[in-house]
Amino acid sequence: MNKLAYDDGSTWFYRLRETTAFWMFLILLGLVALFSLISPHHAFLSVNNFFNIALNASQLVLLAVGMTFLLGAKEFDLSVGSNIVLASILAAKTITALAGTPDEVAVGDYPHLGLAVAVGVVVALGSGALFGLVNGLLVTTLRLSSFLVTLATTAIGLGMALVLTHGANVPDIPRALQTDFATYRLFDLVPLPVLLSLALVMLLWFVLAQTRFGVHTLALGSSVDAARRAGINHKLHLLKLFALMGVLCGVAALLDISRFATTNIGGHQTDNLQAVAAAVIGGTSLFGGMASVQGTLVGSLIPVVLGTGLVIMGLDSFYQLILVGLIVIAAVYIDQRNRQTRF
Amino acid sequence: MHSPQQYLAAQAAPANGGAHLPSVGRREPALQAIGITKNFGSLEVLKGVSMELYRGEITAVVGDNGAGKSTFMKVLSGEHAPTGGQLCVNGKEVLLRSTQDAQTFGIETVYQDLALAPDLSVAENVFLGRELKAPGWRGRIGMLDRPQMLAESTRILTELGAKLKSYRATTQSLSGGQRQGVAIARAIKWARHAILMDEPTAALGTRQRDMVYEAIRAAAQRNLAVLLISHDLPQVLALADRIVVMRQGVAIANLVPAEVTVRDVVDVMLGAKPT
Repeated sequence: MNKLAYDDGSTWFYRLRETTAFWMFLILLGLVALFSLISPHHAFLSVNNFFNIALNASQLVLLAVGMTFLLGAKEFDLSVGSNIVLASILAAKTITALAGTPDEVAVGDYPHLGLAVAVGVVVALGSGALFGLVNGLLVTTLRLSSFLVTLATTAIGLGMALVLTHGANVPDIPRALQTDFATYRLFDLVPLPVLLSLALVMLLWFVLAQTRFGVHTLALGSSVDAARRAGINHKLHLLKLFALMGVLCGVAALLDISRFATTNIGGHQTDNLQAVAAAVIGGTSLFGGMASVQGTLVGSLIPVVLGTGLVIMGLDSFYQLILVGLIVIAAVYIDQRNRQTRF
Repeated sequence: MHSPQQYLAAQAAPANGGAHLPSVGRREPALQAIGITKNFGSLEVLKGVSMELYRGEITAVVGDNGAGKSTFMKVLSGEHAPTGGQLCVNGKEVLLRSTQDAQTFGIETVYQDLALAPDLSVAENVFLGRELKAPGWRGRIGMLDRPQMLAESTRILTELGAKLKSYRATTQSLSGGQRQGVAIARAIKWARHAILMDEPTAALGTRQRDMVYEAIRAAAQRNLAVLLISHDLPQVLALADRIVVMRQGVAIANLVPAEVTVRDVVDVMLGAKPT
């Protein structure tokens, strides 16, 4: 059958198997099967473990999906880690400042917890969006490469976070964020952060695959001249994409302080590369024009499954880095082979 | 002078006012340029070019390199604002500040580089920037009507005689002639008055050129005014209804293809023959 014969009765399976996401999904299933079979007492094969994996991937997948949009438009955001750190610090400081007096907060008493958390959420999302907007404005108005701009704002953002905290993590974040949200399991099974991330991923899949916004995003990545001549306001669209990435960083920051009840100033330095790797594993092209949110979801799960599986097997989880690197190479190879068609 | 919004309003309710210019000859031109000048700094590239494009007619613009053909076309397509002169669509003076303005006035352009997004499908390219929304609630939440976009693109390209194996395929997987066909199909789909084409057969093989020439004829048959810039003089003579020769930023001659030879046209282009 001809590769381009889709209009002539080719099957959905034929189309599916031409996508990188499909092959990566098979790899994911293979890894799950392998670890389930060979882990001691089949410890890997449990619903609880699967939800733990999903919980551990819930922050990465948000960043990776935001990166998917940016890569689809042939842009980068290397500053996601700094954005998360800054947003989490601002949110944590807001929550601890509003939840009660310093003395009350120090002893774990939070009389105004609801208000404090609500304002903290707004601050985290606003800070993330503003960070993203600044990136977007620098890229569109100064016409600088997003790679270089976000490399610079990585340093600026982290610097601001260190200035605000003098290098110390923000203490006394209410434990209720952990117990009532981050570790709370709906029906004693599904962690709430997983539901939140999954809902956002589904929404963003719809936006990329089914709406004008998604087509314009890929058009920009494919040919900015073609997009501009077709009447697409490319600068405004890029601003929206960077702001979207920023908002997702804000959500990730909230998940971060909720899960660990502290900020994590030194813990997000490789978030940018992990997000890019997850997107590329899922079939998003580094060269713009091709992006897949469902692929990114798979790409975000593979490193976590590998890490969890290796730990359960009693092996050093550092092997995860080598294996993820090999999978990235395989994904890029499949991507190169299949660039001729898109669905 | 009409902005795109005023023009659209005037189209909806035919003008009482409006800057109507007298039509030239027996018909009103679909697109008219009057004394267009264009300077880049101190360099005067267009020195008062006047031209009329009529519906159903293919007007070829020829000239040596540097004659100002492409600059003139970019003024008509809204890419360059003219330094002076007037542009009229259907007899109404218009202001083209961007390619979007030109599109709003019903003028479509087939660029030399085609301006296609190589990673998007044929249908996505045909509808790029003007995508169809799905009917009902699906459209209200922003969902595209992909089946309709695919059906429309298939219909136009089939009518143009372009044979594609798939209309879902990315345009980068198509041959040069097929890509050209997609660009022309997009222009035909959206043009209401005129199509401007800059070297549409450059870098194409003979068979692919014939396919593109058929598509150009099809555009004219749809009662659109076609402006064609080309260096392929034998084909220009075979295809065009009128030939305008430009030299050093001026339109120096209006030729009827049936009355001239390639040698005559070259002589006028190079100034070896009086106009």
